[in-house]
Amino acid sequence: MAGLRTRHRQEVADEALVRSLFEEHGKAMLAYATRLLGDRSAAEDVVQEALVRAWRNPESLVNGKGSVRGWLLTVVRNLVIDKVRARDARPAEVAESPTTVAVERDHSDQVVDSMVVLSALDGLSSEHREVLEQMYLHGRTVTEAAEKLGIPPGTVKSRSYYGLRALRELFGNQRAEGVA
Amino acid sequence: MGMNDEHADLAGYVAGELSPREAQAVEAHLATCVECRTEVESLNEMREFLGALPPEALLEGPPEGGDLLLQRTLRQVRSEARSSAGRSRFVAVAAAVVVVAAALGGGVLVGRSGSSGAAPEAGAGQQPPAPATSSAVPGTKVVTGSGSGTRLTASIVPAAGWVRVEASVSGIPAGQKCRLVVVGKNGDREIAGGWLVSEKASREGAKLYGSALVAPADVASVVVENTDGHEFVQANA
Repeated sequence: MAGLRTRHRQEVADEALVRSLFEEHGKAMLAYATRLLGDRSAAEDVVQEALVRAWRNPESLVNGKGSVRGWLLTVVRNLVIDKVRARDARPAEVAESPTTVAVERDHSDQVVDSMVVLSALDGLSSEHREVLEQMYLHGRTVTEAAEKLGIPPGTVKSRSYYGLRALRELFGNQRAEGVA
Repeated sequence: MGMNDEHADLAGYVAGELSPREAQAVEAHLATCVECRTEVESLNEMREFLGALPPEALLEGPPEGGDLLLQRTLRQVRSEARSSAGRSRFVAVAAAVVVVAAALGGGVLVGRSGSSGAAPEAGAGQQPPAPATSSAVPGTKVVTGSGSGTRLTASIVPAAGWVRVEASVSGIPAGQKCRLVVVGKNGDREIAGGWLVSEKASREGAKLYGSALVAPADVASVVVENTDGHEFVQANA
C-alpha cells in the first residue's frame, strides 16, 4: 500500500471523526462551556481542545464510560476547571476562590453518574425519554409536561414512573459495563 | 409493578403529584415497608442524576456560527497528524468514526484493513448509544438495490472530494465476510468498509457506515460483496 495513499486515508478518517463529533455534539459542548465560563471565546478554546483530545484518544470514544457525548462533556468540564483554576491562580496564589469551588463541588462521581445516565437515556423508548426530560431535566410538573407533550397527565405520571424504572435498569447495566 | 401499586401510589409520590395528605399517607407506608422504601430511594437517585445533567447536554447539532471553530480544530488536527503519522492511529480513528457515526445493530466496521487484515475493533459488544445519522447533508443521494433475497439501501453523503456511505444491508447469510464497495464511474473500486455478518445481522439486517475516496459526482454504484468476490447486491447511483 503506497504511503501517500495511506496518508490520505488517514487524513480523511481524522477529518471525518472531528467533523462528525462537531456536527453532532458541538452545540451542546459550546453551550455548556459558554455557560460555565461566561465567555464564548474562552469556551471555543475549550471545545477545540476537547475535540482534539477526542481525536488523540479515539479509543476513549469506543471504550469510554457512558456515552460519547458524556465523555466529551466531561472533558469540557475538566478543561473549564483547569481554566478557572489558572485564572484564579493569577491574582493571588492563596486559597481556592469561590468560583473554583462552585465548579468543582459536583465534579465527582455524581458527574460521572450523570454522564452514564445521559447514555442510558438514549436506550429508553422515546415515550419514556421525553417524559423524563420534561420532568427531571427541565423541571416541569406532571401537568406542565402533559400540556407540553399533548398527552393526558395520567399517562405522564405512569410514563415517568416506568421510565425511571427502565432508566435504573439501563443505568445499572451501563455502569457495570463501564467499570469492567 | 403490581405489588407496589397495591402498597401505595409510588408513581404519584415520585412524580411529586400528591396532595400533602396523600403524600403523608405514602410516607407513613414507606416508614413500615422496606420494599417500597428501597424502590422510592433508588428512583429518586435516578431523578437526582437526571437533575444533575447540564441542560445543554440535550442540545443537538453543530453550534451556530461555529465554522471558524471547526476549521481551527481541523487545522490543529492536521498539523498534529503530520507530526505523528502512523497507521495504527488510522485503525483506532476509523474504529472511533464508526462508533461515533453509527453503533446500532451488529458488528460494524469501517476502513480497509490494509496489509495486516486486522479489522479495527469497534467493540461490537460495547457500543455507546447511537447518535443520529447525518441525513441532512445537501446533495445526499439515496440508492437502493436488491438481488436474490438481499437488499441494500445506501445514502451517499457528499464531502469535499470523497463520500460517506451509510448503508442498510439485509438478507445476507450469517458468517459471510462482506465488504461495502464504492465503485467509481471509471471503474475504480474503493472499499468503504468490511464486516462479518452476525446471526442478528442476518435476521434483522445491519447498518454500516463507511467512507470512500471517490468524488461525489463520480460514484457509479455501491456494492456488497464477500471477500471471495461474490457480489450479493448492487445499488446504482
